Amino acid sequence: MELEAPVRIHRVATYRKQRGRAAQIFPPAADTWLRLGVAALALGLLILALGGWDYARSSYQSQTGWVQDQPVPFSHKHHVADDGIDCRYCHASVETSENAGLPPTHTCMTCHSQLWTGAGVLEPVRESLASDKPIRWRRVAQLPDYVQFNHSIHIDRGVACVECHGRVDQMPLTWRAKPFQMQFCLECHRDPAPHLRPPDLVTRMEPLGWSEKQKRAYGEQVMRVHRIDPKTLDNCGICHR
Amino acid sequence: MSGPPDLTALRSLTGKRFWRALDELVDQPDFRVRMSAAFPALASGPGDWRRRDILKCLGGALALAGLDGCERAPDQDAMPFVEQPEGAEPGVARFYATAVEMDGVAQPVIGKTREGRPVKLEGNGDHPASRGATDAFTQAALLDLYDPARSTAPLHRGQPTSWARFETALAALRGELDGRQGEGFRLLTARVGSPTLRRQIETMLDRWPQACWHVHAPVSDAGAGERLRLDRAHAIISFDADLLGPGPRQLWHATGWGARRRAFQAGEGDATLFVAEPSPTITGVTATGRLVAAAARMGTLMKALAVELGVRAGTPLRLGSTERNWVKRAAAALKRNAGRGLVVAGSEQPPALHALARAIDQRLGNLEVTRTVAAPAARQQALDMAALAGDIRAGDVQSVFLLEVNPCYSAPSLAPLLARVPMRIHAGLHADESAAAAHWHLPMPHLLESWSDGRAADGSAVLMQPLVRPWLQVRSRHALLEALMGGDRADRDIVRETWADALDEEGWTRALVSGIIAGGEPAAASPPGAEPPPVQELPSEGLSLLIRPDPTIWDGRFASNPWLQELPKPLTKITWGNAIHLSPALARERELASGDLVRLSVGSRSVTGPVWIVPGQERRTLLVHLGHGRSRGGPVAQKVGFDSYPLVNARGEVRLEKIEGREEVATTQHHFAMEGDEFIRFVDTLADALPPEPPRANFFSAQKSSPAWGMAIDLDLCIGCNACVVACVAENNIPMVGREQVAKGREMHWLRVDRYYEGSPDEPSQAFQPVPCMHCEDAPCEMGCPVNAAVHSPEGLNLQVYNRCIGTRTCSAYCPYKVRRFNWFDLTAKDPPELRAVRNPEVSVRGRGVMEKCTYCIQRISAARITAKKEDRAIREGEVMTACQAACPTQAIMFGDISDATSGVSRRKASGRDYDLLPETNTRPRTTYQARIRGGEGKS
Repeated sequence: MELEAPVRIHRVATYRKQRGRAAQIFPPAADTWLRLGVAALALGLLILALGGWDYARSSYQSQTGWVQDQPVPFSHKHHVADDGIDCRYCHASVETSENAGLPPTHTCMTCHSQLWTGAGVLEPVRESLASDKPIRWRRVAQLPDYVQFNHSIHIDRGVACVECHGRVDQMPLTWRAKPFQMQFCLECHRDPAPHLRPPDLVTRMEPLGWSEKQKRAYGEQVMRVHRIDPKTLDNCGICHR
Repeated sequence: MSGPPDLTALRSLTGKRFWRALDELVDQPDFRVRMSAAFPALASGPGDWRRRDILKCLGGALALAGLDGCERAPDQDAMPFVEQPEGAEPGVARFYATAVEMDGVAQPVIGKTREGRPVKLEGNGDHPASRGATDAFTQAALLDLYDPARSTAPLHRGQPTSWARFETALAALRGELDGRQGEGFRLLTARVGSPTLRRQIETMLDRWPQACWHVHAPVSDAGAGERLRLDRAHAIISFDADLLGPGPRQLWHATGWGARRRAFQAGEGDATLFVAEPSPTITGVTATGRLVAAAARMGTLMKALAVELGVRAGTPLRLGSTERNWVKRAAAALKRNAGRGLVVAGSEQPPALHALARAIDQRLGNLEVTRTVAAPAARQQALDMAALAGDIRAGDVQSVFLLEVNPCYSAPSLAPLLARVPMRIHAGLHADESAAAAHWHLPMPHLLESWSDGRAADGSAVLMQPLVRPWLQVRSRHALLEALMGGDRADRDIVRETWADALDEEGWTRALVSGIIAGGEPAAASPPGAEPPPVQELPSEGLSLLIRPDPTIWDGRFASNPWLQELPKPLTKITWGNAIHLSPALARERELASGDLVRLSVGSRSVTGPVWIVPGQERRTLLVHLGHGRSRGGPVAQKVGFDSYPLVNARGEVRLEKIEGREEVATTQHHFAMEGDEFIRFVDTLADALPPEPPRANFFSAQKSSPAWGMAIDLDLCIGCNACVVACVAENNIPMVGREQVAKGREMHWLRVDRYYEGSPDEPSQAFQPVPCMHCEDAPCEMGCPVNAAVHSPEGLNLQVYNRCIGTRTCSAYCPYKVRRFNWFDLTAKDPPELRAVRNPEVSVRGRGVMEKCTYCIQRISAARITAKKEDRAIREGEVMTACQAACPTQAIMFGDISDATSGVSRRKASGRDYDLLPETNTRPRTTYQARIRGGEGKS
């Protein structure tokens, strides 16, 4: 017959007493183990939290500085710095559309039907033209689908390409220069003044040589003229719909 | 509802003025329970879950939710054009003027495309038949284009085949027909509105004089020969005519009524509408005087009206006191507005009644003002279905071509006869019932991907151009007839040829850009003034049965469109199915409750379905809707409701027998019920204002900004047509949940149209109220959210941040208006590519466990803000139109900047009819309503 629990414990204790032993449930080291365990758990959680934080900020997570494999090893450094081609020659809709746009194969071929016509690296471009199939680029700068970003208004207000895309003119292969995370967007949306410049200089890659004070003075002037209020710029609905 | 409603209890009202459903009126305890749970779904959750298991799952979900945040956006590929067509900038919407068609009437639209995909239809603002508005069917036409159940390739005896093989068979048929002058060939089409199609049919009949053309239209349309100008009609008397109700001319009539009613509000003339009807329609709800009368009673009533007006000589007829009163009021309104009145009889009323209505109009001088007669369409007139049935019986038919019709479903008596025809060809969007019965089935393109033309409800011609290139192996109706005649010209060239004389190249281009063909309207013939035949009074003993097209899926053609299947029907709020509508009195007599199964028989034919008690229905009248119970046509269309077509043209006694069992009808009429009362407010006449609200203390100061967005909904203009609801679905990527989930109260529509009753269940007064988010300045939802996902924008928008939302649903519990919708499931992940293509790229697609609600179309505000900023100016009045506002045919919904006192929305809010919904909650809603005006008489 199964006995009620307190009765059973009493019987065990009585038995042990009878055998001449103390009725210890926990060994003497138990307390130490408990403290160690709690400390290890706390430490583990801390490491996990710090690691998670670090991971979330890591260049792996934000893909900052990582180069994607591309069908053609396109060098912005060569085309922008060496040849001096303006961003808008290829990214033609940046001033009018929410998308900056990638160049159609025809745009590549305006030059490459004359230059480097037999180069092996350009084979996918010629293939695309011949077969009328688009080149499949891997996207370098991309935002999640729940973010609605519009290039044209940023260009119109004088936010330079280099602010988000970095020194593209120094990239032999293209990588993401800035972490496209909300923190990065908000830094500028909360304080746009130092990030603004005259709209005709937005595609310029080299620094303008303005001091911090000059930058802020110009930016604040633009904000006054265009009635830009940073208090309305960090509202969720500006980017998320 | 359990058991039949107790009418004695019903009649002794429970103190509450407005009610939505009968069980609410008697305030049954189980309704209380449903009401107290914000979502009825919670009360009826699965019972086999133990608390421990739920907690385990919650813990697991919490742990996994943490990991979810570490997910990186997946790598994407980008594929630029090889050669970018001019104007095809990625990220920029393009707009094309075109039209969609319903029952031979073209609905002019502007189609919005993004990256080559049509994503939204808006009315064509320049076209008089649209004025920028659309109806629910037109909004939903977009989804028909992307329907995954569309037929993809030609079928021969049910097996996929190639167009080449069909062409071979067609060539053989053509050779035979040439030899016999077309003898034995029959073309069966739907109503033809397209001038090009008509021209092609005439060419065919010229070549094959022995061939015949028949038209099959399951829904009768007495208005086809007339054009009613409701915008000019100060007094409208309708005898069972659902002028504002769903149908091909709804938009034309509703825009006209809206224009008239707005003029009346501005102090210019009357806008009275007297309706006698056997079953409630939205026209009846809108009416300033509604009379419940059996369909067979219409002749008597109209005769009485004619006698009252002195149009008919005769002694006063035997009328009840309510009837007499209604006739007197209607006659007074007509007399007062002689020369600008309108008398209309319903499509199903006998021709004698239509003639009498015209005679009254003629006597009062209304003809040519409010009613013009359309010019006869062309020299070749089509034959009807009875002639085709007769010919088949006589063995005269060797081959039949079913073009865009589905007679095997919508004309069940013809189906067995068709099987006797040796060669049957069917062409349509779906491999439907008729496709299964045909030797050849040919897939057709949707009108949004083909060249065509049509006639709008105002009689003017419109061009249809493709918004997108067809992605299936399809051929248009023009290409099919061209192929039948042995030609192979492109669709565009065929349509161009029709307009070769009327339009030069420049005119053609202009017509394509604007969607309007200038001078395309044929001159109206003068109406016949012949003496109408005497009106026969129909026998009216026993039950009478009305068979009407479904308000959302029409004659069944939209059955595979989930946007329309899940659209609550205006009066009953039933979704995904149909029911046998009966009056509260009859339900009591037969001891029936809503949802009880019955067998409805007419003579030897019968159908089985659930009953639905409809307050305001005539005592002895039953009503069923067509269009349901499809056996083919796609997974959405099938197994929904019961098929009422077998009852069409049935003769004999109407019987109703209760059978064992019940069927749950998925209705939304209980859902999202608000606490409180006085939802709908009325003023008696135009001059009246609502009593002022007592000022309420509020700790917070009123929100000020410029712009400050707000909305005004004029209940005096709202006709409850549901166009706004479907427009909202199309604009905001709102997922459909299906019948089972609707029944649990989990429908996702951001905008619902509530229908309220007031007074006795037999003859209640009814009103509609569209309820979007109120965008309260002091929003309870924002106070309730534990993670700050419900936030307020500086411009006064109440925003929901989907990525912050953890799905506690506190906001919904706190919302007094019950406008928040929760994603109980991942409703979109399994969408096929077609349904992904229909989505608006400017609006996020929401995931599971996230709350969502009306955003005042924030994407449209953003687009306008960016445009305005680039031009360094403020957003202009009327620059932002919400999707619901744009679609509304009567302009009941107005949106704009309330910080600008001159804006349309501010002027409406300044009116004496303006009121807040649930003012006792003191939420300072940005959406306000304008009270309905009971009468329609202007200042005399």
